[in-house]
Amino acid sequence: MEIDAKFDEKIMALIAEAVSGKFRKTKITGATHLQKELGMDSIGMLSLIFRFEELFGLDIAQLGIDINVAKLKTVDDLLAAAHQIIGKAAVAGG
Amino acid sequence: MYEQNNSLNIIDCHCHIASEEHTPRSFIEGSVANMVAALSAQGVRITKEKLTTVFLSKMQDPLCDGLVAEMDAAGISKSILLIPDFTYALKDSILTIEESFQRHREVLLRHPQRFEVFGGVDPRWGKDGLALFERSLAGYGFRGFKAYPPCGYSPSDPALFPFYELCAHYQVPVLLHIGPTSPVLDFTVSSPFLLDEAARLFPSVNFILAHGAVNFVEECVMMCRFRPNVYLDISGYQNTLGYDPSAGAVRNIVSLGINHKVLFGTDFPVFRLQGEQEDFLAVLTGENGALAQLNDREKALVLSHNVERLIERSVAVVA
Repeated sequence: MEIDAKFDEKIMALIAEAVSGKFRKTKITGATHLQKELGMDSIGMLSLIFRFEELFGLDIAQLGIDINVAKLKTVDDLLAAAHQIIGKAAVAGG
Repeated sequence: MYEQNNSLNIIDCHCHIASEEHTPRSFIEGSVANMVAALSAQGVRITKEKLTTVFLSKMQDPLCDGLVAEMDAAGISKSILLIPDFTYALKDSILTIEESFQRHREVLLRHPQRFEVFGGVDPRWGKDGLALFERSLAGYGFRGFKAYPPCGYSPSDPALFPFYELCAHYQVPVLLHIGPTSPVLDFTVSSPFLLDEAARLFPSVNFILAHGAVNFVEECVMMCRFRPNVYLDISGYQNTLGYDPSAGAVRNIVSLGINHKVLFGTDFPVFRLQGEQEDFLAVLTGENGALAQLNDREKALVLSHNVERLIERSVAVVA
């Protein structure tokens, strides 16, 4: 599994999909705060993670990757975590 | 050792040890079932088993070292650990209630000055349960009683009166759950009005309505306004941040003239998938936070002084 040029776009699209209600109007940038500006609660974060797994055909727990969801404050944090997960998945897959 | 790094003394009046030892699997799976329903409706493919695994991954802090680190980062000087007794209602509890009390005592001793404990005993355990609760006050250094009515009893059930008599004797408060909980338990006994008889019969005992800023709000405010010995805590406000990141529920409750009755609480570790203690505090104490309109005296009441008043009266032993 490799990170292609459109990887970040795909993640941004996933984030946009997880945002609901009045927050859909918020312009999403790297600095956008997930909770304060996008209204991401526990359900929103979980939905994002599971959609990510589905999109890339991964099981984060099975890969032994420990992601502290509570530490993901901004879109940039999320992108960094996504890169980290894909990087580890690539190593695990040989 | 904790060093206070700001001018506000902050006490979190509503926390739990993050460990499956104290929370039965059936309770967790009930809560997870609601999350699965919400996620499935959004088209997310998820199983109850997988989500339970995710949830349990946040419940691995039996000695509270992780909680203390989060308290330090947030500037919380002390937290009150509550022990809801699920062991009578839910038979898949890992520990007996006595063992659970022991574990909490160990945490109390491990982190001096950082915690207080309110022990809970289901009144249907009878004399043994009452003796355990008294032992917790007279010998373990616990400073309050935790009632969990959704386990199947009213907060004014006469079976609880001997516990309230002990609370009166030792001058410690009672904190009781208000509103919905895991769907494996009974919601019908979670109304604050069910406390009214006990609050009237035990005027020297102070009662704290947990989650009073988000569940049965009007009733909780009425009880706080007109019963001198009834208070509420704001824990659970994180549930509202998904549609109102400004914590309007807290903003509302502190605008009603009852700030001498409102207590800060987070319900750690329930919202650990959503953020850390410092995030939840920032929503309240930040520049435009939910407490921004309060003067310093009122802020201090909500963040620490109210709960301090309630536990300082205690004549229970010091751990």
